[in-house]
Amino acid sequence: MSDRAALPTEPGALADPLALVAELSGAFASTGDVEATIQRAVERITEHVGAEGGALFLFEEGADGARELVCRASTGPVRITGLRLSPTQGIVGRCCESERLQHVRDVRDDPNWEPAVDAETGFTTRSILCAPLIVQDERLGAIELVNKQSGDGLFAPGDARLLEALASSAALALHDARITARLLERELLEREVQVAGEIQRSMLPVARPAPFPLAGVNVPARGVSGDFYDWLELPDGRIVFCVGDVSGKGIDAAILMAKTASLFRCIARDGTDPGPILGRLNDEILETVTRGMFVTLAVGRLDPGHGTVRLAAAGHPPTLVRDADGRWHEIPSGAPPLGIGPLPEPGQPPEVELSLAGGSVYLFTDGVTESQGPGEGMLGVEGLRHAIDERIALPARARLDALVASLRARGPRDDLTLLVVDGASAPPEQADVVPLLSLRFAARPERLGEVRDAVAEACRTAGCQEPCTRDVVLAVDEACQNVIRHAYRGDPDGEIEVEMSRDGERLVIYLRDFAPRVDPEAIRPRKLDDVRPGGLGTHFIQELMDEETYLDASPGPGNLLRMVKRIG
Amino acid sequence: MTRESRMTHEIRHVDATAVVSLRGEVDLEHSPAAREVLLSCVRSGRSLIVDLSGVEYIDSSGIASLVEAFQESRKRGSRFSLAAVSPSALRVFELARLDRVFTLHPSLEEALADG
Repeated sequence: MSDRAALPTEPGALADPLALVAELSGAFASTGDVEATIQRAVERITEHVGAEGGALFLFEEGADGARELVCRASTGPVRITGLRLSPTQGIVGRCCESERLQHVRDVRDDPNWEPAVDAETGFTTRSILCAPLIVQDERLGAIELVNKQSGDGLFAPGDARLLEALASSAALALHDARITARLLERELLEREVQVAGEIQRSMLPVARPAPFPLAGVNVPARGVSGDFYDWLELPDGRIVFCVGDVSGKGIDAAILMAKTASLFRCIARDGTDPGPILGRLNDEILETVTRGMFVTLAVGRLDPGHGTVRLAAAGHPPTLVRDADGRWHEIPSGAPPLGIGPLPEPGQPPEVELSLAGGSVYLFTDGVTESQGPGEGMLGVEGLRHAIDERIALPARARLDALVASLRARGPRDDLTLLVVDGASAPPEQADVVPLLSLRFAARPERLGEVRDAVAEACRTAGCQEPCTRDVVLAVDEACQNVIRHAYRGDPDGEIEVEMSRDGERLVIYLRDFAPRVDPEAIRPRKLDDVRPGGLGTHFIQELMDEETYLDASPGPGNLLRMVKRIG
Repeated sequence: MTRESRMTHEIRHVDATAVVSLRGEVDLEHSPAAREVLLSCVRSGRSLIVDLSGVEYIDSSGIASLVEAFQESRKRGSRFSLAAVSPSALRVFELARLDRVFTLHPSLEEALADG
């Protein structure tokens, strides 16, 4: 804030207009409140030139989209802030139109004078000095001073020069302030898009090393993506996966994508087949989808035990299958996209089941096949097959990365999403997976007794001897305790799911909760020579089980622990 | 609906020694009760023998109750020992490496004779 008294206030003083210019420029530059700064500028200029009143008009777009001159600041006995004029109306309009200073000694002699405002306000306008606000050929508006207060009531040539100087400086400052505000707004928007993109990426499944048979990539064209892929391991070892593409590219597409991805997880989790997953997704999306938006989706389920894949798709590009001999097969979508209307009878797309037998399956979005290099046509399905053939020697993940890198090099593009189910890295196991137990119960201490009984029973069914049974029971109990104490922190409304199955000579146990994510590091075992209560459970689990892995349970909350014990 | 409790306990006094017999399953649900019983005996100033012959199951929370009572008695300079630890409970003590921290007696008689 500068000190008003320090500035010359003598009417008409040309003594130090530079000080005022500097003050006004500084005020515009230092505050985000352009409105308040304009008001202050008008007051200071009016005072400095010694006028009775002053007003600043800016061009704006009116409600009907037409340009208007709107009074954004005013001072003097009558305030006209908010007054709207047509772009050529009055002396202000003429000033803007001609881009020249207007000096009217007596408004009554001026053809453009509009007495209506005076009639309404009771003010008597005699003389007017009006300077345009112009920056780089852009007309911003004008600043108008009314009735010189001293002498004969007329503005002097010095006043005109001063007002012109102040106007051009104010115009420049106003222009800068607008650019700054626009940049700031764009930056905020960009940051929001960036955050949205990060949230989206966190919803993609975490890459798993071989021999995990699936790999995926998603490279958004912009900050957010309308594409997604996901996979989900079922307790029995089967893996459900999908690749989807939401119509549109912006935030609305990103939100529908997030919704579809979450619904997919919910529906797929209970082992629903790919066709019915698509049918149910369509019903859900139809209930709330914005008109004109739709989703194309391919869903599959890999049964690693039998080396088979079951596929279904709605409105999606064909799924490509490359068999072990390098022959390509195309599986087209059997239904229109989701979100358009009820699917044709029987309300779900048909399914195709195929044996992987060392081959691989590719799901992708149209951004891949429609990618276009300079001077080239679209890649197309044929081109994609060829590009995969060229890279078939690479491991699955590296193959996708190399593909995407070559597509990105082709130039401007759509979202790129690819998922591969690689039969070569998933040799069909001969193991017979036998489900033993599936329990969901309240995460409360008083429920653990029954859980132990059920786990013991399942162990005996699987052929475990008593010591082995006792070890598994204790490990599951301790894992449940960790969930109750560390994940739910005693919240009695939490739930735990235990799934047990026999996979050949091994017991495989999945323990899932729906609490906020817990860092496994936070419950790592303490040093055992530190004799004090608590903190033993995780150590017990490690000692008792052959394998224990904290799996990624995303998206959504929850923790997933997989424990394996050799049956003994 | 009432459930039969999976853990019971019994307290006997033999001279200046308290014998707490725990039976059944000392798990997350019941270890708070075990802890209360054990700590109140230790605080009464008596030596404490915990008879574990009837314990079919004990988990880390049960072990933690014993450790707490053990530490409390050591702070007070009174004796604390475990008697007749069943094989399944012994397995848990071994896992916790506490078989070397506690005084373990094969039977209650031997524990009393030692006290």
